[in-house]
Amino acid sequence: MSFETQRFFLERKEGGARFCTLLTPANRKPRGGLLILAPFAEEANKTRRLCLETARTCAAAGWSVLLGDLTACGESAGDFSSTSWSDWLADVADFAGFLREKSDGPLILLGLRLGALLAANAMASGLKADGLFLFCPITNGKQALMQFLRLGAAADLNASEAARIDTRPLRAKLAAGENVEIAGYSLSPALAAGIEATQVTADMSLPAQLAWLEVVSSDPPAATPAVEALTNRLREAGHSLDIRLHRGPAFWQTQEIEQLPELPKEIVALLEKFTEETA
Amino acid sequence: MDIRKELATIFDELLSLGGRSSTFTDATPLLGALPELDSMAVVGVIGAIEERFGIVFDDDEIDGSTFANFGNLVQLIDSKLSA
Repeated sequence: MSFETQRFFLERKEGGARFCTLLTPANRKPRGGLLILAPFAEEANKTRRLCLETARTCAAAGWSVLLGDLTACGESAGDFSSTSWSDWLADVADFAGFLREKSDGPLILLGLRLGALLAANAMASGLKADGLFLFCPITNGKQALMQFLRLGAAADLNASEAARIDTRPLRAKLAAGENVEIAGYSLSPALAAGIEATQVTADMSLPAQLAWLEVVSSDPPAATPAVEALTNRLREAGHSLDIRLHRGPAFWQTQEIEQLPELPKEIVALLEKFTEETA
Repeated sequence: MDIRKELATIFDELLSLGGRSSTFTDATPLLGALPELDSMAVVGVIGAIEERFGIVFDDDEIDGSTFANFGNLVQLIDSKLSA
């Protein structure tokens, strides 16, 4: 099925504009709206192509798909060094509002890695959507921030006992209200604090319908102990959770960019099941 | 859970070793010996270990010697999991 692609900038109330790619099915009413939220920093670079492939595959299956670049990310305007987590939450709300106007049917948020944490946080903060699709999600912001800070602390590591990946000097700078420079990004205290404070938990106010796609390397595919524990808690809290395990490499961090042509198809299949249940 | 096997998979995947990690033994030297393992890759491996095993390392739990050889890293994961 064919679709049309539009690229444009969505203005921000505070000034600046966010780059959006909207894919809409041609000559038919969309099944619903799908907002895709990409990962952060280097993971965004590793997954850009997969996000676009996913958007194309979902649009070909009849979805209106919006790929929105967050403020100061991708092609969007903005100064990264003064961007906060709440700016990104506002972006998500704007993207969702825009997509709701453009398409009938259910509105689903699909977040990959940190994008999933952001989507869950947006919904728990009151954003109305019909479903949440967690795609290899980061569920623990504290862990995510620690991993990012380590990038800034790992230079000149050697195999001696004296060599450390010490993130404490970076944390001290953030605590003093200063930005820290990591892997080409100037991380503000507000963004660091926002990431660190966010976690996907079972008592979060999330839609009843959740989909979860995890890519694992084990054969046969098995959820990691961490994923297993959280999905069990979400089910116990009354969520209907459809989890699928796909065998493959950790594509968001592999040194070479992986081709995973089966993944977008898997996403479409999960989405369809998702909407049958919410319809 | 087979820590050695899981860990070898992490190395193979993240560093694109093309199956070379299946020959790793506890004595296999890593940092300084494996050209693909630069400091950024070390950070990636630590993150992948944390996510896969559901553990979090503090700053003072990891030093350069942790990555001196494969066995040291296995030992650290093992002690975290049984803690």
